[in-house]
Amino acid sequence: MMRVDNFSVAFSGLAIVLSALIFVLSADFYHNEEKHISDYLAILVFTLCGAMIMFSFSNMAMLFLGIEILSISLYIMAGSKQHDVRSNEAGFKYFLMGSFASGFLLFGIALIYGATNSFHIGNIAAYVSAGQISPMFYVGMLMMLVAMLFKVAVVPFHFWSPDVYEGSPALVTAFMSTLVKIAAFGAFYRLFYLCFFDSLNYIVIILGVVTAATIILGNLVALSQTNFKRLLAYSGISHAGYLMLAVMSMKTGTASAIFYYASGYGIATIGSFAVAILVFKAMKSENIEAFNGLGKKNPFLAAALTMSMLSLAGIPPFAGFLGKYYIFSEAIKNGLFGLTITAIITSIIGVYYYFKVILAMYTKEADETSVQSNIAYTTIIIVCVSVSLLLGLFPDKLMNIF
Amino acid sequence: MIQYLFFALSALTIISALYVVFSRNPMHSVLSLIVCFFTVAGHYILLNAQFLAIVHIIVYAGAIMVLFLFTVMLLNLNRETEPHKTNWVKIAAVIAAGMLFLTLIASLKMAGLGTYSLPHKSNIGFIQDIGVKLFTDFMLPFEISTILFMSAMIGAVLLAKKEK
Repeated sequence: MMRVDNFSVAFSGLAIVLSALIFVLSADFYHNEEKHISDYLAILVFTLCGAMIMFSFSNMAMLFLGIEILSISLYIMAGSKQHDVRSNEAGFKYFLMGSFASGFLLFGIALIYGATNSFHIGNIAAYVSAGQISPMFYVGMLMMLVAMLFKVAVVPFHFWSPDVYEGSPALVTAFMSTLVKIAAFGAFYRLFYLCFFDSLNYIVIILGVVTAATIILGNLVALSQTNFKRLLAYSGISHAGYLMLAVMSMKTGTASAIFYYASGYGIATIGSFAVAILVFKAMKSENIEAFNGLGKKNPFLAAALTMSMLSLAGIPPFAGFLGKYYIFSEAIKNGLFGLTITAIITSIIGVYYYFKVILAMYTKEADETSVQSNIAYTTIIIVCVSVSLLLGLFPDKLMNIF
Repeated sequence: MIQYLFFALSALTIISALYVVFSRNPMHSVLSLIVCFFTVAGHYILLNAQFLAIVHIIVYAGAIMVLFLFTVMLLNLNRETEPHKTNWVKIAAVIAAGMLFLTLIASLKMAGLGTYSLPHKSNIGFIQDIGVKLFTDFMLPFEISTILFMSAMIGAVLLAKKEK
């Protein structure tokens, strides 16, 4: 039912670290809703549990349970601000779309069971490598692919993500764009690496089109965003595109590249959300204008956000740069030249929208409202920035796990 | 005999499912969904899965459809308040669903399904068999599903509790 290997241990460790960071941030975020803090933290731990099942499943039933535990907890978290219409909308939208995708996942599992007579990924992999694959199996695989693509939010299954990210409470958005995205990618890679590896050629065109569309559209649409959460949602979509590139080149075993990229991305995103939550609270606005003049008002927060943004944009010496480098070099090893060139060009375009935030902080005029940090947030921000710097300087520590 | 029963049930299932989608009146949709659930339960019985059939009727036709009916009545949905979809959405939906339909049909046509005889004398689908399976092979998923329900319950309290 579950198999513990290096992959699952490493990804579970990453998930635990990210959840711990969010956990520390949530004490202050929910300070005026003390009655709800226990429910909220319980659901956070349940989500982590679902993510860990997704990293170590060896049976389709466990995969489904893991995804459902993760998703149902998230529907609740997205809608957890009862009196905020946008939060309600986000929760409901996510719920409807997510259950539809779960339906696809179940239908796919059922068809694969019909073809292979097994839920166990080892048996299914044996069926695939034996040749003689029933067409029913391919349809099942396609449906599972659709469900997984929805969960990782890549084009054309991305429509829910900006709306849900924008409407949810900021901390939940941070949680969704880090832990949940990484959990979905972990399960995606594990499923296709351990189970469908030998029939990868069958879907490689689909994966290629999806990847190209994701990195192009994610980066281009992000250019015109004015809301910071929407900006990070589209940035998350483009990062999902780069991770898809690593999934596509799984023939050379890209688990460590995905792990390194996911660590860098998750840490940098949590760092930028920690700053953003403080700014949102002080300025009572979630637009990029809220960051105007932060460089003068609070140089520490501005510097931390700048470093996180540089890491997300993929500028050395931060982790984001090496993460992209590893993924691109793996993709070239697999002969995906066109996609890699597209990815490099779009990631240069992507630098522009990250710099929009940095420019707002340092070149725009400040107003009188002051932005204060507290001990918990300061600690987390320092941890995130220094970890993403250390990961960028000493990548071998993470790359040698697998 | 069983074959005729199967065809009759299948026809009924498809007709009622289509009526769910095409009916303009949400009340009729819900009622025909109940018919659809009952016919699916009939299919389960034909496959010798009595327990599944009973649970299906209790859970879906019983609990979930009552919820549906309440929601439809409370929201007072009718033809006038139905939101109008743009043509683009309709075209996109038709193309997407049509392609899925095509894929399914093509693959099932190629699959060349064999004939299966029903295991009349076996105990497959009996409650005892399912219980044994659940507490031996599928013990871990069975236990882990409690986390799912716990999370859903906490969520229901969190979302539905009235603020003072």
